[in-house]
Amino acid sequence: MKILPPYPTGLVPDKNQVYSPREDTFLLLRAANNEILPADTVLEVGIGSAYIIWNLSPCKLALGTDINPHAALLAHTQGVNIIRTDFADGLKKYFSLVIFNPPYLPTSPEERGDDWLEFALDGGPDGREPVNAFCTRILNVLNDSGRVVMLISSLQDFSSCEEIFSKTGFNYTVVDTEKMEDGEELRVYKLTRKNQMIF
Amino acid sequence: MKRELNDILCCPVCKGDLELVVTEENDVEILTGALICHACSVTYPIDEGIPNLLPQNTTS
Repeated sequence: MKILPPYPTGLVPDKNQVYSPREDTFLLLRAANNEILPADTVLEVGIGSAYIIWNLSPCKLALGTDINPHAALLAHTQGVNIIRTDFADGLKKYFSLVIFNPPYLPTSPEERGDDWLEFALDGGPDGREPVNAFCTRILNVLNDSGRVVMLISSLQDFSSCEEIFSKTGFNYTVVDTEKMEDGEELRVYKLTRKNQMIF
Repeated sequence: MKRELNDILCCPVCKGDLELVVTEENDVEILTGALICHACSVTYPIDEGIPNLLPQNTTS
C-alpha cells in the first residue's frame, strides 16, 4: 500500500481534498442508472464527493467506500452508507453491482504529493495501477452473477485496460462513451465474470 | 454505520468475521464502537459513525 497523506486535524472535512463531480462522474452515473435494478446490492468503490451514490436510482442497498478520510466524513454527513477502507477490503461477497471511477491520471513517483486530492487522481506511471488492483481484488466481493460498471479514459489506453480485464477474469463491453473537447475519450465498461453462468 | 451493515463486513486482512462492540448508538446508527478480529487480535475503530477497516498498523 502507498503511504497515505496525513489524517485531517479535527473532524472537519476539507472539500478541497475531495474530487468534485465532473464529466466522468456524470457519464458513469448515467451508465450506472441504466444498469441498476431495484433488487441490486450496490457498492461504489472510492465515492469521492458521493455524487453518484447520492443520485443512484432506488436499489436494495447502496454502500460506498473511500480511503480518503475527508470523503468519508463528507459522505457520512450526507447520510450515505460509508466504510473507510482500501478498494473493497473488509467487505464480504455480497454485491450484485459495483461502480468504480478509478484514479486515472498517469503520475510519476516524483509528481506524488501528500495530498488526498492528488491521491484520488494518481493512476501510477501508466494510469492503470488502480484498474489492475481493482480487478484483482473486486472478485472477493462481487456476486457470481454480479456486474461492474467502470469509467476508463483514453489516457489509460483502452486496449491495455481491456487486456487487464481479460487477464483478471472478466468479460467486458462498452456501454457508454463521451468525447471531450480536448480529444480525450471517456468510456464506461461493463464487466462480468468469465465463468458466469448464463441462464 | 447502520447496525445491519455488520453482516457484510469482515476483517480486511484475514477476511474473518468481526465482533461488533457498540459504545454509542442513536436511533439511526452506531456512532462509536469497534469491530474486533479475534483471529488477528486487531480492533478496527468506528468513529463519527464511520467504520475504519484500514490495516491498523499503517494508518492513523
